[in-house]
Order: sequence, then structure tokens, then C-alpha cells
Amino acid sequence: MTVQLQDVTVHFGRTCALEGLDLSVAAGETVALLGPSGSGKSTALKAVAGFVRPSRGRVRLAGNDVTDLPPAKRGIGVVVQQYALFPHLRVADNVAFGLKAARKPRAEVAERVGEMLEMVGMTAYARRFPRELSGGQQQRVAIARALAIRPPVLLLDEPLAALDAQLRADMLGELQKLRREVPDIAIVYVTHDQSEALALADRIAVMRDARLVDVAPAAELYAAPPSAFTASFLGGANLLPVEPVEGGVKVAGHVVPGLQAAPGESLLCIRPHAIRLEADAVPGGGGAAGRAGVGGEVLGVQWRGAFNQVTCSVDGLAGVTVRVDVPADRRVPEVGADVSLVLPVEACSLVLADGC
Amino acid sequence: MLVWTKPGKAIVWLAFAVVFGLLVVAPFVVVIAAAFAGSWNGVLPSDPTADHLRQALSGDELASLSVSLQTAFLGGLLAVVFGSWGALSAADTRFKRLADAMHHLPIAVPSVVVGLGLLVAFSRQPLLLNGTKWIVVIAHLVLMVAFSYGTVSAALERIDPSYAEVAASLGASPARVLWRVRLPMLLPAIASAAGLSVALSMGEVGATIMVYPASWRTLPVSIFALTDRGQAFVAAAEAVVLLATTVVLVLILDRLRGRAAER
Repeated sequence: MTVQLQDVTVHFGRTCALEGLDLSVAAGETVALLGPSGSGKSTALKAVAGFVRPSRGRVRLAGNDVTDLPPAKRGIGVVVQQYALFPHLRVADNVAFGLKAARKPRAEVAERVGEMLEMVGMTAYARRFPRELSGGQQQRVAIARALAIRPPVLLLDEPLAALDAQLRADMLGELQKLRREVPDIAIVYVTHDQSEALALADRIAVMRDARLVDVAPAAELYAAPPSAFTASFLGGANLLPVEPVEGGVKVAGHVVPGLQAAPGESLLCIRPHAIRLEADAVPGGGGAAGRAGVGGEVLGVQWRGAFNQVTCSVDGLAGVTVRVDVPADRRVPEVGADVSLVLPVEACSLVLADGC
Repeated sequence: MLVWTKPGKAIVWLAFAVVFGLLVVAPFVVVIAAAFAGSWNGVLPSDPTADHLRQALSGDELASLSVSLQTAFLGGLLAVVFGSWGALSAADTRFKRLADAMHHLPIAVPSVVVGLGLLVAFSRQPLLLNGTKWIVVIAHLVLMVAFSYGTVSAALERIDPSYAEVAASLGASPARVLWRVRLPMLLPAIASAAGLSVALSMGEVGATIMVYPASWRTLPVSIFALTDRGQAFVAAAEAVVLLATTVVLVLILDRLRGRAAER
């Protein structure tokens, strides 16, 4: 394992910013730390980099305990949210900073800087100052600077958060390309944006309130989230309370057959795109028996281009709203219409109610 | 603007002009007029002459200007060094508030008290500085440190700590982080602090008057002494010299600061 965190706990004064984190990242693997602000994901990254000292637990790099080593002795590449390019140094000098600190021969520095700038496509900007670059260009320089020291580990702290939406999508593609260029580096990617995590990470570690909630391969977490928090944070799943019944579970009076509730699992999780909306055959509701799914009423429709996002209330479940993504080529029910929410059993999973 | 009507605006501007004119412009005008006046018996000065200015730029009086400049540069620049050092050391530590209070103490008490303190402290062996120029330089240093410390401290708070963190992660030692990242980024603030210190030092009189030896008399002290002896016109001429020198100095230092900020 290239990076290994064992029971890492960080306190800032009396507040606990990270509680007992166990996590390892292999060489060549990308792990995303995903969570809302204040979930401890950035603190975890700082603990790996050495910017904060854990009050408990150990940090290992390639098997060596580095918990008590300063950042300068760890040899980790770090890219922070605002990039922190040194404003008084030109692009080439920014990239050369780590190599000069290591007192590499001048020829080697120049060669490596050239290599790095070429990799991120910034060769033409070597003589510019950071303030003369756009956000996306600054980010590329920050990555080149971090990778110039040939780190075994690259830490990326919300690298796309400072960019606008279009640029973010482009840079996501660039980061995927970068991953292929440095296949042996372990990458830890901190983000609050689930789409970035899904696009880049081999495994996703979902964090909440200074703790690790779930960690698993991205596809697995998405398809079968182990907890309600992960289900809703990753992919915005709908969560509906259920009761176990003979041969299935009951949701708002409607039985979904074939689901077995383990003890404690009391929420049905289904993605917005997996629900099918059907107009009610009998307006005003013909009773649960007559429906293909759960009864509900359309509360609102938002057009999102490729799909319409429909919010529905659920009959018999006060305060619960369900989000349904209806492809744009499908007919959208009117606001106020009675509908049946069809829940295909293969798209449903059951999760523990963990207080969210 | 809170006032929208035309007459309303006019009244507000007039009130401002009267107050600003009386409190700020008038004293300068009077000093400049007096510097070039042969006599001043009526409402306006009469017998315009350049004699006072000539006197202010010769002999002892010129020496005073030189003394003031040397003191300002020595004291001001030392203050910048100590103030920056203090600000860098205190930043992000538990002692920040204590350090703030300590550095601001000399300007919280009357400067005469600072002068008296130095006089008492440095009038005996082994630290006998009384009677030398160094006691004047130290007085200026002590007073100007607060401003340097404050300026650099404020700039430090605005600089994202991730610059230093990233530099460290790239393998830079703390000394390298200081010299290659933190200090260059602070350069505009340090230049600002230098300008402020030199300008304030040029005009310092309260502490200087307590400690200055006859061989090291600064220009403001000269002005004070001349006025005391009733030579108001020569004093005014010296004031004009002081004013002009300070303005030129501040402009030069501001140019340097601008250049530092551009980098």
C-alpha cells in the first residue's frame, strides 16, 4: 500500500475534525474522499500531506511511518483548491521550485520542467506569471509543479471547485488523461461533487461529520449503497420508509415483491432515473390494489435539458418527496396530476436508516 | 450618497470644504507663506524674501536635515526589520495577541514617556548610550516598530497559508519557504511599512526632544527650538524643507512599493 491511514484522528482545539480514519490507497489507484463541507475530507488530506499533526493514529507512506515527519520530508505532490501558485515566480520557476529545493543540477531541472510543462500543455506559457493565466491554466501549472518532484502520491484538494461549470467538465477530461500518463502514482482526490468522484475514482470513500461512512469501488457504492447517507449523497437516491411483509417489503401500502429486509434495514433506496411514472387509470386514486406502483401527486417539474426532474409527494407518507428523472422524449405529467410511481425491483435496494 | 438634491449636495460639500480648509489646508498655507515672508504685521505677509529658506539650508540647519534623514533611514529600516521579524514569528501562534499588545505598547503611551524611559535605561554603564546618536535612533526604532509590525501582520493574515504549505510539500526547508515564498510575497507590505516608518520618523519630536544630544539634533527639534526662541519665520522655512523632503521620500518609497507589488 502506498498510503496507509490507521485510526487517524485530528483535533483543532476542542473540535474533532477527523475521527479514527482507516484508509489505504494502492499505487496506481485513485481514491476520492467525498463528503459535504465539514466532513473531514480536507483534514484527512492535510494529515497525509503533513500539514496537520494527528492527535492519534499513524500515517504510512510505502510502509514507512511518516506521522512525525514534516511535509518537506514526505515527498508528496499536493494541489490545493486555489492552486497557490507563487505569484512572484514565473510558470517555469513555479514548476522548478521543488527541484531547486532538492538542489538538482541546473540541466536536470530545466529538462524536467520542460517535460512537465509539455505534459500539461503549458510549454508556451513558461515565461508567464501566474496572474496572467486563466483558472484552468493555473491548475495545470499547479499539477505540473506537484508532479515535477516525481511523488509516489498526488493529493488533489477540490481541484475543480474554483472553475466555472464548462471549464470544470473540460478539466475533468484532462484529469482522466493525466491519470493515464502517471499510471503508478497513488491519487487521493478530495471533492464534494459526486460526479467528479464517479468520473475519476476507482474507489470512493464517503465521509460525514469527521468520519468515514463507506468506502468501496465506485460502481459498487453507486449500485448498492450500504448506507442511507451514501445513497443520497452519491447520486441523490430517493429514500422511502418500508415495512417488511411476507415475500417482500411494503412501501406506502404498495408491496414490492422479492426484496428481503435484513434487520435494521428500513429504507428503500432507488435512483431518480429508475422510477417510472404512469398516469393513474382512475383519477383521484382507485385504491392501492388498482395501481402498478405507489400513488402520488406531481408537485413540480423542472426541465433540465436531457430530462425533466419531477418531484412527487407520496400518498400516505407525509413529508416525503420523491425525485423522478423523466427522459425528455417521454410525456411529462402536469403539476397536480395523480400518478403511479413504479419501482422496478431490480433498481431497488434496502439500506439502514442512519439518521439522514 | 445619502443626500440627493442639488442644494443639499452643495451644502454638504461646502461644510466639508470649510472644515478641511480650516484644519488641514490653512496651517500649511500659513507655514509656507511665513517661510517666504520678510515680515507679517497685517492680515497678509509682506516683504517676500528667500532669506529664511537660504538660512534653513545652510550650516547647522542643513546638518539637522541630514541628521533627520539618517535617523529616519536607520531607525525606520531597523523598525521594518524588527517589525517584520516580530510579525512573522507571532503569526499563527498562541502568542499573537500578546505580541500585538507588546508591539503596540510604545505608541499607546505618550512618546515623551518612551523618551524618558530610554534616557533612564541607557544613561549608565554598561549601556551608556545617552549623549550618542544611537539613543535617538533607538527611540525612533521603538516608536516605529508598532507601525511596521501592524502593516506586516495585517498582510500576513491576508496571505493564504497554503502557499507556505505547498512550498513545504515540495521539499523546501522552513528557511527556504521564508526566503523564497513568504518574504517575497510580503514585499509590498514591507515596502509600505518602510515608507510609513520613514515618514513618521521624519516628523517625530516627542521622544527625540527627551533624548537628543547636542551633536544629533533632528529637524523637528530644530524647528521646535527656533520657534521657542521666537524665530518663527526661519522655523517655518525649515518646516517647508521638512515637508518637501518627506513628500519626496514618500513618493520614492511608494514607487518602490508599487514595483514590489507588480512583481
